[in-house]
Amino acid sequence: MSVATLPSRTAALEQVESLNLPTKRDEAWRYAPHKTLGQLTFGPVAAADPVAADIDGQIPDIDGPRLVIVNGVVNTALSRLDGAPAGIRLVGLAEAPAADLANIALEREYDAAEDSFSIINRAYGTDGAVVQIDGQHDGVIHIVDVALPGSAQNTSATRVIIEMAAGSSATVVETRIGSGDAFGGSNVRTEISLAADANLEHIILQDLPATQIHLGRVDIVQETSSIFRARLFNLGSDYGRVAYHVHLAGEGAQADLSGLYFGFGQQTLDQQITVVHSAKNCMSRQSFRGVLDDASTGVWNGGVDVRPGADGTDSEQSNDNLLLSRKADVNTMPRLEILADEVSCQHGATVGQLDEEALYYMRSRGIPKGDASRLLVTGFASQMMDDLESETIRTWITERLGQDNA
Amino acid sequence: MLHVENLTASIGETPILKGLDLDVGAGQVHAIMGPNGSGKSTFAHTLAGRDGYEIGGTVTLDGADLLEMEPEARAAAGVFMGFQYPVEIPGVNNMYFLRTALNSVRRTRGDDEIGARDFLAVAQEAMDLVEMKQDFLYRSVNAGFSGGEKKRNEILQMAVMQPRLAVLDETDSGLDIDALRVVAAGVNALRGPDRSMIVITHYQRLLDYIKPDFVHVLVDGKIVESGDHTLALHLEDHGYAGFVNHKFDDAPLSGVTA
Repeated sequence: MSVATLPSRTAALEQVESLNLPTKRDEAWRYAPHKTLGQLTFGPVAAADPVAADIDGQIPDIDGPRLVIVNGVVNTALSRLDGAPAGIRLVGLAEAPAADLANIALEREYDAAEDSFSIINRAYGTDGAVVQIDGQHDGVIHIVDVALPGSAQNTSATRVIIEMAAGSSATVVETRIGSGDAFGGSNVRTEISLAADANLEHIILQDLPATQIHLGRVDIVQETSSIFRARLFNLGSDYGRVAYHVHLAGEGAQADLSGLYFGFGQQTLDQQITVVHSAKNCMSRQSFRGVLDDASTGVWNGGVDVRPGADGTDSEQSNDNLLLSRKADVNTMPRLEILADEVSCQHGATVGQLDEEALYYMRSRGIPKGDASRLLVTGFASQMMDDLESETIRTWITERLGQDNA
Repeated sequence: MLHVENLTASIGETPILKGLDLDVGAGQVHAIMGPNGSGKSTFAHTLAGRDGYEIGGTVTLDGADLLEMEPEARAAAGVFMGFQYPVEIPGVNNMYFLRTALNSVRRTRGDDEIGARDFLAVAQEAMDLVEMKQDFLYRSVNAGFSGGEKKRNEILQMAVMQPRLAVLDETDSGLDIDALRVVAAGVNALRGPDRSMIVITHYQRLLDYIKPDFVHVLVDGKIVESGDHTLALHLEDHGYAGFVNHKFDDAPLSGVTA
C-alpha cells in the first residue's frame, strides 16, 4: 500500500472529474478570486525529479530537522532528515513505509466537510511530510513548501501530517514560499491529531510571491486535555488563504489560534477559522490582527460552534484591523452557534486607522511622520509575535515586514 | 527667546485664542493659569504644532518662525511639550521610542546618532531623575501606565530631549502629592540658564513646587493679567471669578512680559 493507492485517494480522483469550484455564494469562499482560481491547474506530479530551488534567502534559518518539498515532491538534497532527536520522526509521505501509513491519519474523515481544493489535494497530493512526535521536544521541526510554477501543471499539492502521541510536545513550523513570476501556486493540506495531553505549537509562514495563489487548509483533532497553539503569518500571495478547522473532541482540550495578515498592492489575505466544541470544558481562543495597505483586502471569518453537551465551553474571539489606505478593505465576520449550557463565548472586531493622536505625539518628539507611522504599524503588528519563542522566526517576520523595532 | 504676538487660533468657526501676546526670556519659567475652556491647552498645542487649528499671528523661537514648521521640525528646533494626556502606544517599547526621538532630532540638527549603549547611560540618568525603575524602559510607551507614571514618563522624555523650550500642559493633573513632588523635582532639576519653560496649570498647588518667574492669567483666549508668583496666590484665594466677570474692554492690560 502506498499513499497513491489509498481508497480515499482513488475516491478523490473520481470526484475531481466532476468537481465544481467554489462560487461567491459559498460563504467561506466569498472573497476569493473565483475566476483566477479556475485558472489553477493540478495533476499528478512527475516522478520525483529533484528541482533545483534557491530557498535559503527566503526562509528563516532554523536549526534542526527540515523537510523541503518542491512542487509537491520531497527534495532530499535540500532537506535535513538525519540526526533528528529520538522521538521525532520526520519522513516524506511518498517514502513512508506501509506500516506507518496504516497508523496515521490519511484515511480520517473530518468533522468539517471537504471542499473542492481539499479533494484536489487528496487526489494529487501524493507526497509531503509525515511528522510523528513522541516525548517532549524543545527544538523546531521545519517543513518548507516551495511552489515553482512552470511544470505540467501550475499548482502543486502537498500533504502534511502531524501526529502527536499522548503527552508529547513540539513546535512545527511550515514555511510556504514560491519562486518566479509565473502564475500558479500551492495547495497545502495539513492534518494534525493530538492525543491526550499532547501540546503542539504550529506556525505557518505564508510568503508566496504576489503573482501566485496559496490555498492552505489545516484540520485538527484534539483529544482530552491536549493543547494546540496556531500562529499564522499570512503575508504573501496574490490570494493567500489559510483555513483552520479545529475539532475539540476530548474533554478539557484547548486551542489557541492567533495570527497576523499584512497586505500590500492588490493582495487578498483570507483567514477562515472554525472551532468546534464537542466535549465538555474545552477552551478556545482566536486572536487575529490585520494590516492592510494600498488596495489590499483582508478577510477574517472566525466561527465557534458549540455542540450539544459541550457544557462549560469557554471561547473568545477577537479581530483587530488597521487600514492604511482609502482603497484597502477588510471583511470581518465573527460567527457563533451555541447549542450547550453554561457557556462563555465572547467576540469582538475592530477596524481602524492609524491613531492621529499617537502620530502627533510621536512627531512632537521629533520623529518624522513616515517613521512615526511605521513605528505605530510595527507596534500593532509586533504584538502578534510577542509569544513566539524562536528569535530566528521573530527576526525573519520583522525583516520581512521591513522594519526594525528592536 | 520665545516671542508670541497677537496669536489667534480657531477650530472651524469657533475662536479659541483671541490675540495672545507673550515673551519668554532665556532661563525663565512662566506659569499660565486660567479657568477651564480659557484656551490654555490650545496655546500649548499651537506651540507644539497640532493639526486642525486656523492660526494667525506670530510665534518665533530664537527668531525662527515656529508656525511654519511641522511638529517634528519644532522638536528639532528645541520645543518640547509635556502632554496633559500622554498617548498610549502599545507594541512600541519606551526605550526604542526615546532613542528614535533623540536620534531623529540629532539627525535633523546634523549631529551624529547616539548608539544603543551610550543611549542607555542617557536614559539611566533621566530615569534616576524621576525615580523610575529599569523595567520602565522595556514596557510599551505609556501602555497600562498609571496616571503618575505617564506624567513621570513625560518628564523623563524631557530630560532625554533636553529642549530649549519646555511647555508643560497640566502636568499636575491626576497626580497625588508624592508623584507631584517627584515630577516637580524633575522639572526643577532641568531648569537652566538656556532653557525656558511654560508651565500651564489650573491650580496654584504645582507652583508651590515649581516657582515661576512670572504668572499670567489666561481668560477667553487672551492674557488678562500678568505678575510675579504672588498673582498665583491671589488666584488661590479669590479664584478666576474676578477676571471672568470683567468686561474685556476694561480688563487689566494684557501682559507682555520680557
